Amino acid sequence: MTSLRLADVTFSYDDCEGPIVENFSYELDEGTISLISGPSGCGKSTVFKLMAGLLPQYGGKILSGKVLLENAEIESVVPFERAKRVAMLFQNPNRQFAMKTVFSQFVFALENLQLDHQEIEERINDALKRFELEDFKDRNLQELSGGEQQRIALALVYSLKSSVILLDEPFANVDPENRSKLLEDLKRLQKEQRKTILISDHDSSGYFGIVDHWYRFSSQGFVEKDVNELKTREQQPKVIGMPKNDARLFWDDLGFEVSKRKLLSNSSFCLPTGQIGLLSGKNGCGKSTLFACLCKLHEKTGKITFDQKDSDKIKLSKWAKNVGCAFQNSLDQFIKLTVEEEILASRKNTRHKDYWSEERIQKAIKALNLTGIMKHSVYRISGGQQKKLQLLVMLIMAQPILLIDEPFAGLDQESLEVSCSLLKETVENLQLSVLLISHQRVRVVSFMDYEISLENGILKEVSA
Amino acid sequence: MNPAAVFVLMLGIGIPLTFIKSVILNVVVSSVCLAYLLFCKVKPKTLLTMLLVALPLAFGSYVSQRFYASHDQVHIAWIYATRIIAYLNLGATLTLPNSVENILFNLAEHLNFSKTFVYGMLSSFNMIHTIRVQWKRIRYSALVRGERYRLFQPALYLRIIVVSLNLSGDLAQAMTSQGFSEGFPRSRYEKDELPVWQWLLVSILIVSYVACAIIFKPW
Repeated sequence: MTSLRLADVTFSYDDCEGPIVENFSYELDEGTISLISGPSGCGKSTVFKLMAGLLPQYGGKILSGKVLLENAEIESVVPFERAKRVAMLFQNPNRQFAMKTVFSQFVFALENLQLDHQEIEERINDALKRFELEDFKDRNLQELSGGEQQRIALALVYSLKSSVILLDEPFANVDPENRSKLLEDLKRLQKEQRKTILISDHDSSGYFGIVDHWYRFSSQGFVEKDVNELKTREQQPKVIGMPKNDARLFWDDLGFEVSKRKLLSNSSFCLPTGQIGLLSGKNGCGKSTLFACLCKLHEKTGKITFDQKDSDKIKLSKWAKNVGCAFQNSLDQFIKLTVEEEILASRKNTRHKDYWSEERIQKAIKALNLTGIMKHSVYRISGGQQKKLQLLVMLIMAQPILLIDEPFAGLDQESLEVSCSLLKETVENLQLSVLLISHQRVRVVSFMDYEISLENGILKEVSA
Repeated sequence: MNPAAVFVLMLGIGIPLTFIKSVILNVVVSSVCLAYLLFCKVKPKTLLTMLLVALPLAFGSYVSQRFYASHDQVHIAWIYATRIIAYLNLGATLTLPNSVENILFNLAEHLNFSKTFVYGMLSSFNMIHTIRVQWKRIRYSALVRGERYRLFQPALYLRIIVVSLNLSGDLAQAMTSQGFSEGFPRSRYEKDELPVWQWLLVSILIVSYVACAIIFKPW
């Protein structure tokens, strides 16, 4: 058994304005499975990385309080000793493997623990057998699906024999089938090995009967909730409305795969003008990849047309003038150094110079509360500010088709409402076609005109 | 031969090769390397492709020295042309018969290369797919803003640096959580032996090469 607790911890990233975690205390209940839920950007990952001892080693500083692993400050414990007690699974599965094959990744981790040849071999075989992954032993890690990679990562953690397992948004890139397999594996580990497991997930569905504790980050702070509430979770608000027929972008018989897994097939749809559509679906179902296909950034089958012209016959530079994309990670979007330069760059090349007058832009900057940071570097402003800036620069560009991936992640209530209003106003005035991915539904769906859902490889309209 | 020994041999011959002006010795080095590569069962087709790629470079070097060298133009031209082929073959003796993983592990084990360097290099080789996706995204992000990144633009390099830092940061954290500890010993699942005779052979080859060049001064 391993005790792990945060005692009154206040933590701040170097580039953040205020502490992201303030006077936070929490102790893991040994031998249980706990779920921490809450909106993106609320500090879940920070808490997990503090508990894994990765922060402040990889950024930021603890302003007060301590993180204690078996009553010793976790920072003072050498990583290979720490890994025997606490291990972590990350949100992005393919960024947690340094080696090429499953076997060599296991060897790497077990060599870190200074185990001998025989012990390494035994542990690998045992872990792969337990998780029924023997066939994966010599497979190339980069060729596995997100779900398979996470199962490998879990087996790896098991082989380290860590008694505490932290899973930070582990299902973000995992399909439903592998998600339930992983949850079963975790339950088994808790029951048979008395492992202590902590999972963070912004979506708390599907955890009833699995977790023993449920904590939530909300405006009231960090509170423990009744696990029975997981059963009767509040109904997610629905979008009311249907897509119109007037459209410039069509796709027909569209299909694509990721890591040799078919995520969409035979899909046909026309993206209505002057409307905002919500693209929903579980994590890992292929929503972002659909956007990548529509931007010609991912291999596809089938046909996409804009104004009756086949996308395959249009150069990428010309295509990008009509099909804009706001990426999930804001930093992937910015092309200039400061907030001011970003806005100027969009203004210079906007498709609607008359509409985006200096006065209108200034009004939007003020409404989004970006006035005070105009000279700041885009890399040094907070995540929420980056999201708002990203939305603004893409709305100023005003391509007739705009695909927006998670624009509201980490936004406070006020920013969320201002962002939604600005989006709605621009779409209606300029008659843009917007398709948007957002896990956040509360306070968002009322701005949406229709919803389409991607489920088990099929894209369908959702009617309320 | 163990990649660490080949690495030392490559440096031991490669550095003096820059100063030794001998066509014959360049040809000998190239021939020995080719023989070694064939002995290691490297496909002749691969070797042929490699030599064909190097040919224009060697030819260019030959032409420039043949017409513009200050003295002894023919000799110097041949030295430069054969030197390029010799360098290429020397490098190939390390890279063609061994995998990147094998080379790096042996350099760490027998020549005390930093393990952080070794695993950093390995993971960057394994992340080529991710880097490709990021590169496409960087390009598109400029295109949707009506701009285009040119190779000489500092902004492009800043973006690449930011993306690389994010990727390497994520990976470093994952490696740490899997117990990788800088400056601490690790065990080795499989050890590649480096017998003394290989060090002896490497020393003899380097000394003979340099001695031959100094004493006989072949053409």
